[in-house]
Amino acid sequence: MSAVDPPTLASSETSGRSRRSIMRPDLFQAVLWALILTLCVVPFVLVIVISFGQKIEGAAWAFGFTGANYQRFFVGASWPESTTFLYLNRLWYSVYYAVIAAVLAVLTAFPFTWFMTRMSRAAQSRWLVFLLATLSLSEVFIVMGWDILLSNRSGLPMVLRETGVTDWLKVTGWFDVLREWGMANPRNVKFKTSEFATILTMSYLVWPYAVILLYPALSRLDPSMTEAARTMGAGPWTVMRTVVLPSVRLPLIGTLFLLFVFLLGVYVSVTVFAEPAKQTLAVSVYEAVRGSTLNAPFGAAQAVILLITGGICLWLGQILVNRKGVTA
Amino acid sequence: MKIFAHGFMALAAFVIVLPILVVCASALNGGRSMLFPPQDPTLTRFAEFFLHEPVWRNALVNSVIIAFGSAALAVLIAWPVAYGVWKRRSAASKLLAGLGAMPFALPPIVFGVGLGFMWGFSGGLGNIWSGVISHAVLFMALPLVTISIGLQSIDEAHLDAAATMGATPATTFRTIILPQMVPYTLSGFFFALVLSFNEFIVMFFVSASGYATVTLQIFNSLRNGFTPTMAVAAITFILVSVIVFSAVARFGDLPRLMGADPSRK
Amino acid sequence: MDNLTLHKVRKDYGKVRAVEGVDLTFNHGELTALLGPSGCGKTTLLRLIAGLEDPTAGKIMLGPRDLTRQAAHQRKFGMVFQNFALFPHLNVRENVCYALTIAGVPKAQAHETAARLLDLVQLTPFGDRAIGALSGGQRQRVAIARALAQEPEVFLLDEPMSALDANLREAMQVELRMLQQRLGITTVVVTHDQREAMTMADNIVVMSDGRVEQTGAPQDIYHKPGNPFVANFIGRANFFEGVMRGGRITAGSLSLEAGTRKYLDGSPVTVVIRPEKACLDEVMPEGNRVPAEVIFVRDVGPTRDIHLDTPLGPMVVEYAIGEGARAFTRGQKTEVHLPAGGLYIYPSDKARAVA
Repeated sequence: MSAVDPPTLASSETSGRSRRSIMRPDLFQAVLWALILTLCVVPFVLVIVISFGQKIEGAAWAFGFTGANYQRFFVGASWPESTTFLYLNRLWYSVYYAVIAAVLAVLTAFPFTWFMTRMSRAAQSRWLVFLLATLSLSEVFIVMGWDILLSNRSGLPMVLRETGVTDWLKVTGWFDVLREWGMANPRNVKFKTSEFATILTMSYLVWPYAVILLYPALSRLDPSMTEAARTMGAGPWTVMRTVVLPSVRLPLIGTLFLLFVFLLGVYVSVTVFAEPAKQTLAVSVYEAVRGSTLNAPFGAAQAVILLITGGICLWLGQILVNRKGVTA
Repeated sequence: MKIFAHGFMALAAFVIVLPILVVCASALNGGRSMLFPPQDPTLTRFAEFFLHEPVWRNALVNSVIIAFGSAALAVLIAWPVAYGVWKRRSAASKLLAGLGAMPFALPPIVFGVGLGFMWGFSGGLGNIWSGVISHAVLFMALPLVTISIGLQSIDEAHLDAAATMGATPATTFRTIILPQMVPYTLSGFFFALVLSFNEFIVMFFVSASGYATVTLQIFNSLRNGFTPTMAVAAITFILVSVIVFSAVARFGDLPRLMGADPSRK
Repeated sequence: MDNLTLHKVRKDYGKVRAVEGVDLTFNHGELTALLGPSGCGKTTLLRLIAGLEDPTAGKIMLGPRDLTRQAAHQRKFGMVFQNFALFPHLNVRENVCYALTIAGVPKAQAHETAARLLDLVQLTPFGDRAIGALSGGQRQRVAIARALAQEPEVFLLDEPMSALDANLREAMQVELRMLQQRLGITTVVVTHDQREAMTMADNIVVMSDGRVEQTGAPQDIYHKPGNPFVANFIGRANFFEGVMRGGRITAGSLSLEAGTRKYLDGSPVTVVIRPEKACLDEVMPEGNRVPAEVIFVRDVGPTRDIHLDTPLGPMVVEYAIGEGARAFTRGQKTEVHLPAGGLYIYPSDKARAVA
């Protein structure tokens, strides 16, 4: 694909009368292509190129062509003498948190979106304002809110203790179960740090996105279709199972995969709520590039792994969607 | 069923609002720690954020400059790209639009790292203008989408009608297309503005500690814990979001922008 | 006083031929209706005249001027679109002024023209209204006023009544025709409604499959349809097949006086008779009688449709209800008289298909 393709542009110019262009196809298009390629593509290319570079002691790095960074990622820097799966472990937690949080968000956002699209246009508009406002809210503020709610000094643990729920848990034996899950210290229930808090916050973070992504498909669902099913004797649940779900299966899968890719890059929720041993790849990218460890090529290699994970996921989603599309 | 629906939506809204409310309330804390319910309620944190503490005041100014600058730039780049797709419908123009939307679709931390490298080479690292450009590229996908939706909604018969009344293609663009595209362009601008206002990961990598926006300032002080002054920032940002999106809903067709079927009311 | 003429105009979309080899003359000051079923190429032909499409071959002339290579904005033929295509971001007056505004006509003068045109279409009080606040009929008037503001040499209307309620249509047809006659402007109207074409047009061009089937004044086309397609499309028609023998049509065991001798013996023919030409009166002329059984009766105001089953096939007869009218009931046996003067005889389609 060449950046500029004057002959084809020129021929498409004359094909339709009502669509005569006001843009000069040549120079302007070339500039636009150059701009987009530079700003949108070059950064990703740089990440890939630098991932093959070398670290130089004293926080600098040089271009190169070595697979050392990838080797370090998969089996550790001192392989084959010793093997460590530290970074594969991080990748595992990236995927683990993202999958569960995405599934939870879609499961809860789906009924919400369904109910919302059955409302009047004006009511939908108000809900959308609400959702967009929370969607755009910075991750730092959201983490701030859950941090207060889940912290041991105030918020939920305090509420549980004051209301006597903690004592009740201790009596019934559930408290020991929670301790096993890492969600209680000897005195009270605790959420910081825990997988529960991490996944809860991540799920919260993408929940408005889930609604916004499901909204087009559900709002375009013809009401007469569900009404037809009702007249044939289907109850609300049967309608949902036999009419609604099958017809929005593809957008549902698509939403799940997009949320997953988004969650791979989440940083603040993980640093605040996840246990030190259960941090994600996004966190170690940050640490390698600008944080404590300062090894830009290794950070870039991890970023590439993150990109590839996201890419594979989107590709799998595409295959799934295509295959279902054929059999449907 | 109706009761269940309303109950479920109310519960969802409650869970969504809960952490936001808690943040807002903790801005009233008299002490330095974030407690809920707030201790020694006071409004001095607001004065600190907006007036007394230069760190926050500068950050707010930077946030505003970057948000407005990048949103305007994003609209300027997105316009010809979206117009090209609508006009030509060629594979090349669709590819261009796809590339333009790519940074928004991939994990921002990866794009941030890449931009950090790129500005490092070109000497833009740590300058506020590189921050403006970075956010413009990151959020270009939003005006790209809203403008594309708007262009699709233009009735081809309007263009034919203008031509039969003597309008050249350039005149048609100026008198028919542009005026009808104003709400869509503004929606795209405001979407980009609000998201830029709240973004910090990409900004972290391209600012290289040369300057800070409000959310970046909070991000940078993460290790030392949250303070009530940050909660004031949260309140400010929430208000801006609500006002902007209410305006978009008031002057544009928000359900349509979000992908609802335009024909159904 | 220039006539608009089309010479062998053809339009292909890829391999699909939308309009093929059309030769037509639109006389100055007359209203011509392009009539045909949907997909017959009539709208494409109108768009070719407007300059919104380029013809694949052929020439479009206005008097001595060749317009074929001129773009729509150079021809400036006023056009009313199917859904009127009023600009939603402009109010009524601004819509009407559009052509003048972009041509750089001073505002005062443009407003004067707009006021005159809004008066012409009886919308004077509506100048400042938004387009969304208008009814369908009002929108149509605005669209007409807007297309006329530039004083076009040719006035084009694409299905102008299709977006209106049925009862509003007839009134607007009369009104539009009166306006056109007052202005004396060459006008082309595309329609699929034969009543509309008959009401408004000086000339009707019947089209099907991108070809012109017949051109002529409305009454000529109605009473002398050139082929079975036109007979079927303009007004209602009953069809049957037969063979010519000595000036008579033989169909099964029946033999009917044809009223023409121009067909050779043995040639297969398609015969058309209009429902109002067939006779069911108690006292009917001798000859050309066909036995029939009433299968359905339908009252349509002043007349009654009698559906018959005959040896020639099913047939509908229009029977006037008046003093001493006969009563018909389902199952009743009767005879129907087909006057020789009311029969349109064409070479059979089947024969044409074989040849």
